[in-house]
Amino acid sequence: MAEKPRIKVAKEAKKGEVIEIKTLLAHPMESGLRKDDAGALVPRKIINRFTCEFNGTLAFSCELEPAIAANPYFQFTVRVEESGTFRFTWIDDDGTAITADESITVS
Amino acid sequence: MRPLSRRAALALGLGTAAAWAGASRARATPSEADEAIAKFTGGKQPEPGRIAIDLPEIAENGTAVPLTVTVESPMTTADRITDVLVVADGNPNPRVATFRFTPMSGRAEVATRIRLNATENVIVVARTGDGRFLTARKEVKVTIGGCGG
Amino acid sequence: MRAAALAATLVAVIAAGLGVCPSRIWAQSAAPVPLATDGDASARPWHRYHEWPQRDSVKFNTLATLASPPPPTAPRKLAGPIAGDPALGAKLAADRTRGGSCLACHVMGPAGGADLPGNVGPDLSEIGNARLDDETLFNFIHDARVYNPDTLMPPWGTHAIFNDEEIGHLVAFLKTLKAPAQFKSELDDPAKRPPPVEKRDNLDSMLNPAMWAVDDKAPALWTEAGPNGAACASCHRDVPQAFKTWAATMPRWEPRLGKVLGIEEFVTRHARATTGHAWPIESAENGALAVYLRFLANGSTIVVDNESAPAKAAYERGEALAQRKVGQLNFACVDCHGAGRGAGKWIRGQWLGQIRGALDHYPTWRTSLQATWDVRKRFQWCQVAVWANELPPDAKEYGDLELYLAAQSNGLKLNVPGIRH
Repeated sequence: MAEKPRIKVAKEAKKGEVIEIKTLLAHPMESGLRKDDAGALVPRKIINRFTCEFNGTLAFSCELEPAIAANPYFQFTVRVEESGTFRFTWIDDDGTAITADESITVS
Repeated sequence: MRPLSRRAALALGLGTAAAWAGASRARATPSEADEAIAKFTGGKQPEPGRIAIDLPEIAENGTAVPLTVTVESPMTTADRITDVLVVADGNPNPRVATFRFTPMSGRAEVATRIRLNATENVIVVARTGDGRFLTARKEVKVTIGGCGG
Repeated sequence: MRAAALAATLVAVIAAGLGVCPSRIWAQSAAPVPLATDGDASARPWHRYHEWPQRDSVKFNTLATLASPPPPTAPRKLAGPIAGDPALGAKLAADRTRGGSCLACHVMGPAGGADLPGNVGPDLSEIGNARLDDETLFNFIHDARVYNPDTLMPPWGTHAIFNDEEIGHLVAFLKTLKAPAQFKSELDDPAKRPPPVEKRDNLDSMLNPAMWAVDDKAPALWTEAGPNGAACASCHRDVPQAFKTWAATMPRWEPRLGKVLGIEEFVTRHARATTGHAWPIESAENGALAVYLRFLANGSTIVVDNESAPAKAAYERGEALAQRKVGQLNFACVDCHGAGRGAGKWIRGQWLGQIRGALDHYPTWRTSLQATWDVRKRFQWCQVAVWANELPPDAKEYGDLELYLAAQSNGLKLNVPGIRH
């Protein structure tokens, strides 16, 4: 079921430019309130934290609750001053971390 | 597994999001939402203003309602937004998310998709760099499906 | 590195497929397309999806069988005035487990808090002033066909959805309705509610998960070798060009099967005949390819054949099926989606679309269910929603209905996958 995260970010930007980043991860975000066919509650299993780092420094992060919809989507901005790599991390309730990297050239 | 609310369960109508379907879920009272906000502000009173909440007037269902929050701020070291709390006062757990901005953010703006139990208020509280709090709210009507069950 | 691996797979698969490929497939040959004509394209016996209501409506019409009891020939005579409880009546009127509740179609004063009532039927908020006698009100609910054979009102009594006592409570409640409904906001008033306008970018993979079939799943399936070593790619080269308009000409009458073939069933039978792949309708693989094949024809004009003799007959059957009342709630497709009937009106908080334009965006991502639905699954759901038994997705009746719907959309452009509630 592991689908690659989908990320939309420019490959190039000008120094000081504020760029828009879109991220999407395929994940059911099981709320813990849904019942299966037998009537038993399906346990909670969500992405509870998402971070965006640039060249190792935290740029944006969030803590998430079951009210974030399935296939969590985040659109946010980052001001880039230098070339480098974005690292996006999604952390599941079960402790696993999914990461994806995207590089950008800033001139 | 998280416990459900203490409140007596209200069987909510069919046609709400499948992700919530089959659950008898309690609706949080406004005071539970207030508790979450008070925890975020440390008891300080947030002032209305500077926050734009983009949400549909009527959501076709509560499964994936698009939300954009924009807080007016130059986002300089001297004048910036650090954290934004989003709360939905009709959800079993009123907290939706906490977004954390940094000096690298550029804009205090985030878009995402949220789950709403039923017609309710989405309340946003923002913390400024110098420890003050701002707030805004918007009501979303979650439509009721025609077919029943 | 990935491109090289893909190229290598393609070469191997094309080599394996050359034995299967009819020569000059790329030269628009007139030979009939290979189809597995044995067996069915979906499970038999057909079992309803387990997440759907499991009500068995065998006593009522389906699109394949007639079973509903006949309408009464005359109104029922009541022994005396009705002694019903208006408070119970108010509750029943808002009870969504009874066919969506009266509020699905009627504004009814304070019932249900006047929260997003529908307007397929007349506003009943002042019916208590109309001085209709108890017997008339009773019969209208019990079976309105005794007054209007063409009515949209479900036969709540004849079809045993409400019993006599409950109808009595409803009548008592109706008699209390003497003032216009008080709406909390204009959004609640169906007369003032703005119809929804679909503005989403349905082809954006960040918004519409149905696009993941186009991005990843279908291209991978295209080169996946089946049991006999061949894959779609063995015969189909230059896919984007070759399939630029094909999907917009489907569904089509298939003489070897004596039925209308939609894209989903075509994929099942063609894949089996050429590659050996088993991709029944409603399987994940079939769904992904069905979205992909239509996506390739996006922007092309829908032009299905409903004029050649067998296609014309199928179209006319489909048109008749769209008018057949089915289920315990006794609704035909045209009751909700026909001009002058339900189309353009509200059923509770949902706006009803018309038949023309219904098919150009199928398959569609359904946000309420977080799943992609093809039109056959949509047909099946419509049946279950009106308390009728559905047919298997490859039923010939659904083929006739799909041809009728597609022909009604002739001239519109394909835009798949859609995204809807």
